[in-house]
Amino acid sequence: MRTRSHEPIVWSLFGAGGVFAALLGTMLVLIIGILVPMGLGFGPDAMHYDTLRSLFGHPLPALGLAVVISLFLFHGAHRIYHTLHDLGIPASKKIMLACYGSAAAGSGAALLLAGMLVVF
Amino acid sequence: MTPAPKTYVRPMNRWWMRHPAYRRYLLREGTSVMVAAYALFLLAGMVCLVLGEAAFNLWRGFLQSPVSVIFHLAALAAFAFHAWTWFKVMPLTTPPIRFRGRSVPDRMIFRAALWAWGIASLILLVLAMRFL
Amino acid sequence: MSQTRTIMIECLRYDPEQDQAPHYRTYEVPFTDEMSVLEGLQYIKDHLDGSLTFRWSCRMAICGSCGCMVNHQPILSCQSFLRDYYPARIRVEPLEHFPIVKDLVIDQSDFLGKLESVTPYLVPAQPLTPEDGPNLQTPRQIEDYLGYAQCINCLLCYAACPQYGLNNEFTGPAALALLARYNADSRDAGQKTRMEVVNAEEGVWGCTLVGLCSEVCPKHVDPARAINRNKINSTQDYFLRFLAPFGRGS
Repeated sequence: MRTRSHEPIVWSLFGAGGVFAALLGTMLVLIIGILVPMGLGFGPDAMHYDTLRSLFGHPLPALGLAVVISLFLFHGAHRIYHTLHDLGIPASKKIMLACYGSAAAGSGAALLLAGMLVVF
Repeated sequence: MTPAPKTYVRPMNRWWMRHPAYRRYLLREGTSVMVAAYALFLLAGMVCLVLGEAAFNLWRGFLQSPVSVIFHLAALAAFAFHAWTWFKVMPLTTPPIRFRGRSVPDRMIFRAALWAWGIASLILLVLAMRFL
Repeated sequence: MSQTRTIMIECLRYDPEQDQAPHYRTYEVPFTDEMSVLEGLQYIKDHLDGSLTFRWSCRMAICGSCGCMVNHQPILSCQSFLRDYYPARIRVEPLEHFPIVKDLVIDQSDFLGKLESVTPYLVPAQPLTPEDGPNLQTPRQIEDYLGYAQCINCLLCYAACPQYGLNNEFTGPAALALLARYNADSRDAGQKTRMEVVNAEEGVWGCTLVGLCSEVCPKHVDPARAINRNKINSTQDYFLRFLAPFGRGS
């Protein structure tokens, strides 16, 4: 009897994160890091504190941002875990816990922050 | 039963040097470091946003710095390479799709995914220009 | 008659009775345009060094026994031509990731065990006798598995798979592709038995989609596709068993 792998749980999160990163990642980085700071298509007041507070005061954008962050983290954790194995650091419970544990912690933090942005 | 012959197993050290496909693979997997790093960067932005205007302006101000531009250009390359390779292998991971009794060729799925990438990016850009 | 040129063939040598580790020997091999790498090796054995050991049989890419590494690329030596490498020298090594028995001969018994583990034969829903008549299929039903059925067990995909090299518990490309081949066959009802192999850590989850297995396959079996589609099935099976404990594949 072979033991069933629990990889489907993290693989699903990895896959969802991969899809989000592929579809939205490039434009997200382009907007935040290049277009807004350089004022290309955006005014100097873009991404102002008040604008973002009111935008993420709504539950949907806040939750959306938290979910994107969480899935990116799980995507990264999954690939980093396997790539460490590829690079000669054998897969172990400890490394698995470190990788997926930090992704889970980051996800928890993102959800908590999203909640705070909506409530306060 | 005859005893098993003495055999030699070659080590795997630096196996990625043996084939360009292995290096492409590791580069593809390596993009995930940037994906995770960018998630942490956004998380830091969220923290600052919760802390208040002064903290957020520090994060917002960092975006103007050359370090940020370099970080974002690297992230841009990583996300773009991730997207390209993700869509490239997508036909292998999706269940077989049939259209009028024929299976849809891989390059059609790849092309459709590229369109989806473009459209999703455009929608995100329009939303950002409207709400940021 | 084409012109004769000379190519340098650097060949891995390992004699279990003499050597602690493999070493390389270089041979100068005269060749003509139509000569394959296999024929180059045969030239060495016939004219330069009779002790060189390698497997071969059909010389036409169907028996799957002459696989080896040429310049780190897994190939069938009968199907690769010396003219395509000339004037560079070539380095011929046994298939990567397998124990070397002697020179270019590897021990493939690990693969044979894995092949057996995937139930690589039709498991009918009810036992059939000759009186039941032929087990018919439509062309469309054949199309579902024909690609995966082309495997000649040459092991080039295992030599291309770093995951198998790093951890040979992994069931590996060819065996998992054959698993998908029988699962996709309309005459088969053995999915449930094979699902256990699929779901295991050393089943489809040992794969990280490097993808070179499909590129090197001389029969275009595409094991990477077979394995990664079964990741979806395994994921469904993992979550759906809680919803439908008596359903298919649970």
